[in-house]
Amino acid sequence: MPPRRAGLVLALVLALTGTACTSQSVPSASPERLSRNDAQASLASHPLATTTKIHRVHGRLPDARRKAVRVQVGKVVDRWWDAAYLGGTYPRSSFPDAFPGFTRAAVRRARSDKALLTNQTRGPHVDSVTATHRTVAIDILATGKQARAVTAHFVLKFDSSGDKAGTTTVRGRLFLTRKRGAWRVFGYAVAKGSK
Amino acid sequence: MTGLVHRARRATKAIALAAVLAVTAVVVPQSAVQPTDVSLVKIRHAEGVAVGGADVVWILAVGSDARPGQDMRHARGDALQLVGINTRTGSATAIGVPRDSWVSIPGHGREKINSALYFAGPQGMAGAMRNLTGIEPDYVMVTRFPFFEDMVDDIGGITVTNPRRFYDPYLKKEGFKRGRIHLDGYNAMAFSRIRKGLAGGDFDRSANQQRTLRGIHARIRSQAAKPGFIERGVMTVMEHMATNASPAELYELAQAVAQVDPRRITTCVVQGRIGFVGAASVVFPDVAQARRLGREARPDAALKHC
Repeated sequence: MPPRRAGLVLALVLALTGTACTSQSVPSASPERLSRNDAQASLASHPLATTTKIHRVHGRLPDARRKAVRVQVGKVVDRWWDAAYLGGTYPRSSFPDAFPGFTRAAVRRARSDKALLTNQTRGPHVDSVTATHRTVAIDILATGKQARAVTAHFVLKFDSSGDKAGTTTVRGRLFLTRKRGAWRVFGYAVAKGSK
Repeated sequence: MTGLVHRARRATKAIALAAVLAVTAVVVPQSAVQPTDVSLVKIRHAEGVAVGGADVVWILAVGSDARPGQDMRHARGDALQLVGINTRTGSATAIGVPRDSWVSIPGHGREKINSALYFAGPQGMAGAMRNLTGIEPDYVMVTRFPFFEDMVDDIGGITVTNPRRFYDPYLKKEGFKRGRIHLDGYNAMAFSRIRKGLAGGDFDRSANQQRTLRGIHARIRSQAAKPGFIERGVMTVMEHMATNASPAELYELAQAVAQVDPRRITTCVVQGRIGFVGAASVVFPDVAQARRLGREARPDAALKHC
């Protein structure tokens, strides 16, 4: 890394740290705050929507089905994010139903990775969270004009206010196949970092 | 004077750079992080897959010697590897069986195990393997050597660790050197098929097939995060491989393979003694060893020793 860029990185990090501190005043996006109907809640009443796009379809799949898969998989990812990071009351340390849309076996696996797959580590020290980036790009495997499997590449960023104010980034991949008529997550590769 | 200033500036830059790198090294403890995204951010990783109901999935990988136009599911199975993947721990194991092993084939009496495919198809080969090791594979995957070459080329070749130099006058005149070597599709096929140049014959060849599997795994693992890599691989497999797995199951297996930890791969080859049945040279496998390997690996896809 050239020295000038190294300096730039430090400056950027300091700037981001500063931003993270000011984010304490950012209103909560949690449903509980919305229900209080206060001024802050009204600001959070238009939460950032997830952008889901198709990266590539491997095999043949009619346009209407592509769109259906995109919408359905986007909802599965959204439900996980809301249950694991963005929704619910803060501060809290318990995330009992954090994996909707996961297969039963994947839920068991994910529970042992709760430190990463939920906001459990920072949850007790946070007053509210606000999503700042929600994107999903999917690769679809299709045979016989049916979607068989999906890899969802995602990036979620959210700001937290409270004792541990900061910005958290969660990125990685979810692996989905259709089980009992719905897309379900059977595996994951996830990285999480906060600053 | 100018030289002194220049040296001083260089020293200052070097110290600044070293400081940043040192801080980064302290705060970013894991080597797998992406530096452009996470400078001075602590990143943690988790991965997991759950395939079917059991933690361990068993796949019988068969290299068929079918000639062009011949049904590869009813030819001789020359490369035989029983592969177990533990999706909970990330461990994997391969039990290799020499193709000339004299075994019991369900419904066909005793024959060389490579003829189980010819006589009884993939199910028969699975039965022969169960009789020998005590493990019933969940999936049987049969491929032929030309496709195997294409597949290795498609993933950009593989790197294997070759314990000794060997050659074959027909398949590889110049031979394979000892050490870490990169193999394209043809060379991966030759590396896995050559038997005559090896002191341990069929046993060493089976061990070489396991080195090839390790190389394929390493390549898949390193590329798995690339968008579309796994999907393209599954499409290729479906085009060229006979298997009892559905497309979704193949995808699940591919993701499970990608998450295997290379440090947790263990391999063994079933040993035996060379003998004759009539005029045919065969291997009388060490059935007790094969059963022990099966018992040891069945619950967690890990072998302590061969």
